[in-house]
Amino acid sequence: MGVLGIVHIAFAGTQNVSSLQKDEAWRVNVRIQGCDLDHGYLCGTMEALNVPLADTPVVTFWEGEIVDTKNYTFFTGKWEATPEDDIRHWSKFPSFSPLLSQVEADGGKSLDLSNYPNIFMRWKEQYFVNVGIDCGLTIAGFYYVCFSCCDGSINGFYYDPNSSPFQKLELKSTNEGRSGFSFSSYQLQ
Amino acid sequence: MPASASSNNRPPDLIARLNSGDAATKLKALREVKNQIIGNKTKKLSYIKLGAVPTVVEILATAGDSDSSILIQSAAAIGSFACGVDAGVKAVLDCGAFPHLFRILSNPDDKVVDAGARSLRMIFQSKLAPKYDILEEKKMEFLLSLLNSENENVTGLGASIITHSCETSAEQKVLCDAGVLQRLVTLLEGSLNQRDVSLESLAAIVKNNSEVILKFANLDSGRALSAINELVKDRYPRTRLLACMFFTVIGDKAPCYLQSIEMRSKLILILVELLEEPDRVGDEAPFALASLIADKEDFQKLAFEVDALSKLCKFLCKGPIQAKRLEGILLALSELCSKLENCRSQFLSMQVLNVVTDSLNHDLAEVRIAACICIKSVTRSVKNLSAGHFINEMTVIPLVQLLHDPSTSVQVAALGAISNIVVDFKIRKSIFIQCGGVKHLVQLSKSMDPILRLNAVWALRNLMFLLDKTGKEGILLELTISTLASLICDPEPSIQEQALALVRNLVDGCVDSIEHVFSEDGIIMNSVGRQVWNASKTEVCVQGMYVLSNVAAGSELHKEAVMHHLLPPEAGGCTQSVIIKFLQGNDSQLRTASIWCVVNLTYPGSPGASDRFARLRSAGVISQIKTMVHDPCLDAKFRVRTAIDQCMTFGNSSA
Repeated sequence: MGVLGIVHIAFAGTQNVSSLQKDEAWRVNVRIQGCDLDHGYLCGTMEALNVPLADTPVVTFWEGEIVDTKNYTFFTGKWEATPEDDIRHWSKFPSFSPLLSQVEADGGKSLDLSNYPNIFMRWKEQYFVNVGIDCGLTIAGFYYVCFSCCDGSINGFYYDPNSSPFQKLELKSTNEGRSGFSFSSYQLQ
Repeated sequence: MPASASSNNRPPDLIARLNSGDAATKLKALREVKNQIIGNKTKKLSYIKLGAVPTVVEILATAGDSDSSILIQSAAAIGSFACGVDAGVKAVLDCGAFPHLFRILSNPDDKVVDAGARSLRMIFQSKLAPKYDILEEKKMEFLLSLLNSENENVTGLGASIITHSCETSAEQKVLCDAGVLQRLVTLLEGSLNQRDVSLESLAAIVKNNSEVILKFANLDSGRALSAINELVKDRYPRTRLLACMFFTVIGDKAPCYLQSIEMRSKLILILVELLEEPDRVGDEAPFALASLIADKEDFQKLAFEVDALSKLCKFLCKGPIQAKRLEGILLALSELCSKLENCRSQFLSMQVLNVVTDSLNHDLAEVRIAACICIKSVTRSVKNLSAGHFINEMTVIPLVQLLHDPSTSVQVAALGAISNIVVDFKIRKSIFIQCGGVKHLVQLSKSMDPILRLNAVWALRNLMFLLDKTGKEGILLELTISTLASLICDPEPSIQEQALALVRNLVDGCVDSIEHVFSEDGIIMNSVGRQVWNASKTEVCVQGMYVLSNVAAGSELHKEAVMHHLLPPEAGGCTQSVIIKFLQGNDSQLRTASIWCVVNLTYPGSPGASDRFARLRSAGVISQIKTMVHDPCLDAKFRVRTAIDQCMTFGNSSA
């Protein structure tokens, strides 16, 4: 949290359940709610709009690990993800390729990503905000996420050994009907 | 007659006998008063009210040096009046007891000296006691003579004077140079009492002074430090407490002496254990724990690992706790939850939030303040804010009630907690609004006290964050456009900043909300423009630029109004626009906010974008942005790219 407080940002896009069938995609809205760069922490909510098995939009709260090579590296080390799973997923992002060899060597520990035009993260959903756990969706897995600082887009891949592989999340920052970009902010005491 | 005399020990009668001309009667009365008031606060207050203190001081002042019994009893009674009761200290000081007590320290009778020293120590334990001028040569000499005395009570007095009066680094240095550290270390080997007072005064001499800490650490080749290390495990609880406090003071300024994880864990565990001790030790232990871990994330993490948090919570749940100890525990819990999310999670899972909210209604202001601070700390959890865990009537109603607490400090503390709670992402802010919270916040935003004003505006700013249309209108109706405009121009820059951030949140969301800043002849917009041009504090300008940027993400009229403020026609093109100054400035946040503003003003698809681009170009804004493609701030650099990409769409991107 900086002295100027947290800036609230909204993104909108889709998540594909299957990489083959585009029509299975559901709409997704993401809001960033908190950020603590010192601890490599980010959090927010994700709203899935036309989920086939759910009657209402499903909102989950997620917490993110920013791969800053200080707090977190490219290796997940938990959530049933092996380094091979990690590299397989990170490699799906074109912007990851220049980093690959170093990540294979040490998880990227020695990389300086502070000026890199992309921010890599893992988002792990923690709880359902508006529905019960019987809503037909699972939050057992987590997302490998890549944020582009250039165009503000977010791409991600959901990883859960028990779900379909490589479910793709594609988001773009949204201006929510405004002719430009507007930001509100809060500051915790 | 003897029967009626002995039964006639009511305060007014005793006071009358204190004034008796008969020495024996006077002495007997003195002894009786002293016996009645020892450890009895009510009795003390009743005698103070009846004016007994000046009479007793007068007896001390007029007694001859050989009149030992009278001197001893009057000095002891004065000490007892001053012990633990501020009104007593005040009464004793007001009637000039100080010099008389110091005078009897040179009495040939040791018992008289004892009584005088003990009495003075009682007075020096109070914050109300006057500061002893250590820097004055004569006084320093006298202090040294006290410390070097053979009499235990007198050395104790010397140490107490240091604990009470040594505050500045100059005073610490003088004491250090005079060899006081060495003398106090020697006293550590004395009686239990000497050890404890020496520990306290050593802490006062080394506090916040790395030079003196270094000297102490090297004293006797480090043996002095090792001696205190041993006292951390002493069998007497108070000694353990004071030794822990000493290491807290050392560790604050010279962490190298408190590096070992083992030592740190030991201190934390001892302080937690001391909570179980009765009286003063148990009362002071949580405060000592709070200081040990304050602002130190590594200590807080360690405290979490050694289960300090759950022990504190369990203690809290045990049942009624004495006010001082409750205050201390709440403060220790707030430190523990101030930075680490896992601490906050554990706190919430221990179900103690209701005990803390109950403490919001405590009789003592200090406890109410500590409860607010604890809630403020726990509500830093975005995870729980997002789940709407805090905004419920059980917490909100007592906090709102505290907004009209008679104590300003309580009001400020309540505002701090409210500021966090109202961030609430779950659109449940109506709970706060429905219980009349807005009205109180608005009232306090007009307070004469700048701290209250700041915190009230801060809470309104967070309440305005992502608020729905009705909620926003409700706040504005209560606050009024003119008050908001005057808060933007408040004499305090920190209030200007929060007020501008409030406006920034107001004009976010639905486009219609932008209209509010143009109502009443646009006084809000004009105030924003004025601050952007004139404010000297960067943070104020940043929030001001974000207001303009959010407004510039509105309709054509809105965008034009922002242009008007950034490139005022009255400047006639002669004055450099403020936005160029910001873009060229050192502050990356301000550069970024300014670029966002340009991005919104030239946002493709809006009819006047091309014209605005041309005007910005003429004013030199576009060429300035083009020089920033390698801005060291990543955020600014990428937004420069967005701005340039947008400008390309106007067909003529040349400056």
